Amino acid sequence: MQTPTLIGLEHLVKRFGDKVAVDDVSLEVRAGEILGFLGPNGAGKTTTIRMLVGLLQPTSGTVRVAGYDVQTQPLQAKAACGYVPDEPHLYPKLTGRELLRLVGDLYGVERAQAERRAEELLRLFDLSAAADDTFDSYSHGMRQKTALAAALVHDPRVLVLDEPTVGLDPKSARLIKDILRQMAERGAAVFLSTHILEIAEHMCDRIGIIDRGRLVAVGTMDELRALGKGERSLEDIFLALTGGAEYAEIAQVLQ
Amino acid sequence: MSEAVAPLGFWPAVARLLRLQAQIAVSGLRRSSVRGRVGAAFLAFLMLLIAGFVFAMGLALMGFLRSPQLAAAAPELGSLLASIPVLILALGFLVILATSFGVLLQALYLAGDMDFLLSAPIPVRAVFVSKLLQAILPNLGLVCLVALPVLFGLGVSGGYGFLYYPLVVLMLAALALAAAGLASLLVMAVVRVFPARRVAELLGFLGALVSILCSQSGQFARAGQISRGQMTAVLRVVMSVDVAWSPLAWAGRALVGMGEGRWLAGVGYSLLALGAAGLVFGLALVGAERLYYSGWAAMQGVAHRKKAARGVRRRAGLPLAEAPARLLPPAVGAIVGKDWAMLRRDLRNLSQLVTPLVLGVVYTLMLVRARAVPANAGNGPAWATQALRSAMGYASIGIALFVGWTLLARLAAMGFSQEGRNYWLLKSAPVSADQLLAAKFLAAYLPSLAVGWAFVGLQAVVQGWGNAAGGAIWFSLSVVALCLAAADGIYLWFGVTGARFDWQDPRQMVSGTTGCLGALVTGLALGLALALFALPQIGLTLLGWPAPAGQLLGLALGGAFCLTCAVVPLWLVRGRVPRLGEG
Repeated sequence: MQTPTLIGLEHLVKRFGDKVAVDDVSLEVRAGEILGFLGPNGAGKTTTIRMLVGLLQPTSGTVRVAGYDVQTQPLQAKAACGYVPDEPHLYPKLTGRELLRLVGDLYGVERAQAERRAEELLRLFDLSAAADDTFDSYSHGMRQKTALAAALVHDPRVLVLDEPTVGLDPKSARLIKDILRQMAERGAAVFLSTHILEIAEHMCDRIGIIDRGRLVAVGTMDELRALGKGERSLEDIFLALTGGAEYAEIAQVLQ
Repeated sequence: MSEAVAPLGFWPAVARLLRLQAQIAVSGLRRSSVRGRVGAAFLAFLMLLIAGFVFAMGLALMGFLRSPQLAAAAPELGSLLASIPVLILALGFLVILATSFGVLLQALYLAGDMDFLLSAPIPVRAVFVSKLLQAILPNLGLVCLVALPVLFGLGVSGGYGFLYYPLVVLMLAALALAAAGLASLLVMAVVRVFPARRVAELLGFLGALVSILCSQSGQFARAGQISRGQMTAVLRVVMSVDVAWSPLAWAGRALVGMGEGRWLAGVGYSLLALGAAGLVFGLALVGAERLYYSGWAAMQGVAHRKKAARGVRRRAGLPLAEAPARLLPPAVGAIVGKDWAMLRRDLRNLSQLVTPLVLGVVYTLMLVRARAVPANAGNGPAWATQALRSAMGYASIGIALFVGWTLLARLAAMGFSQEGRNYWLLKSAPVSADQLLAAKFLAAYLPSLAVGWAFVGLQAVVQGWGNAAGGAIWFSLSVVALCLAAADGIYLWFGVTGARFDWQDPRQMVSGTTGCLGALVTGLALGLALALFALPQIGLTLLGWPAPAGQLLGLALGGAFCLTCAVVPLWLVRGRVPRLGEG
């Protein structure tokens, strides 16, 4: 039986004036799947993600999360989604514990359950000792881990992460990878943007590559290799796809 | 591999660092808008005008103080005149010490360029000297704006010799160096105990508090009632600054000695004062450099213990002030509670909020004092007495509304902007526009209402007004509640339409235009609402109807208007809320 589609982007376009940041992007992520979203700087990854989680209105196209249209049913779509931004801006005068409590209330998690879950997550991310300190005393890595903990408080069916491992120590990065894998095994869809190709290659079930706003490739590692010109590693495939026009044929086939 | 470049010497490095600072300043001015440049030129012109005015005033004052008639009437004035340079230098020293503290806190800990500068191939001491000079120069300029005209005026009126004038400048500069050196040590000692950012917030809060208290202190001064005894006490305080062991007194005596041509005293005191200032600056410089480089000034010894204690306290339960938020629906209550926590904990916000409270207390006291004078209404007709009583009741409401309105200007107009770059958290959450608007409305309304009502109650208690007119207090409370709801709705409309999320400094949260328009429109609406509340009461009272009838009619008319103002702007703007932060 085919697993349900939890993330669906259809002909997604975003223009900022004359500049086309995202150009006709369509892809799906099914339950239990981790999709790695790669691309050079300024390719349109973060813009795509911001449209996916309802932070930015698309110029055209549709985004569906857990079956809900983000434009017409935003509350249902957002309730099913957890999001970790690339820069974890968190209220500087709130404590870690207070933030998790706030997120629990915003997502309608029952108070006692939210408290229990917050304590578990704080312990899991090794943040218990700093849980009552305000964020202005947190390091980047601690804020990043708290943002991930906040995204997990309501046990989302869809998890969207923009560069989640930047600034993390190896132990925390490993923890995040394990958590994402567990989430996928429990039936969640994970949409992960990263510049670390090793993470994408070893963690993700499928990989999407975006360049200059256009999705130039999407598929499993084997599919990407099969359609290439002999490149074996993801790094070679990525550079081939985003580095020159001679590889446009791969993109056309993969599309 | 290229050959290593010879490192810069001490003075060339200082010169280069200062030139860099100047380049940054000039570049900022060049890139500023035409309005910014015109503003800077106007400010410079204004400062020159102020200096000229202070010089003229100083000259006139010194001439007056030196007049033979006054000297005959008050013999102690002679020693007062001799103490003026000491007093001005001491004040200048303290001002530079205080202001350098803030500037050095920024320059050493918050600017974020120390690691870059210390890792560059330039002497560490040059970095510190340039930082100290950077802290001194603007403050010294401001102090000179006032101190130089007064001291030069003293010199001109006293017929002082030529050497007096350059020595004034030299003394001010030397004392400024010593003050900045001490300030650098003070900054490091404080930052060892408290986080630098927290200290900066506290400084901002104290600065705002002191400014508002100073600006309002004149409201209570009764200049016409200063007694001779009080005057003598003031003179004694001024002269007490001039003590023999104080380097500040040496500096002042050096000026007077040189000015009056007493060369031995002048040169002797000059050497003593300049030597002391140089010694303090040198020791402070070396000390600051070592403390910073050794890491002592970057370690916080006390903060961790305090944090642990605070954490335990927070786990025990919610602060009482945030308890009302728990009565609201979870998402709305969570946002309200979060907003209140942020406002309470960030001293930069508190410094904005403290202004209306101080003004409210000042105006309440003024009102109480003004009422104490015409305690009985004299022989006027009864209707006039009644109308006056009604009008005075509205003065109390007016103060409560003023305080609430000023609070709303911060809480409602900046309700969305205050989210800043953290807005993604609310925007990506399943919270509807209606819930967000309700939360922001209540987060601004409830504290403003509490403070407005507190002022109404306070005035009723202080004046015994509640006893005089039983229904008046309830009428006042209702008027304040309805008017503040109206102002909240309108301010929130401006807050949504002019929301900014990319600010660095809380003062940039709302544009000047939005702030001014918001204040103007809410002010007009409040004026109209007050007229609707008051006119029926005053009119019916004049026609001989009982006061409650007029109050009820006023509440019906004014209430309808206020509720319209509270609801309609929010209804108009709710479509914009989902798209906020996408600019």
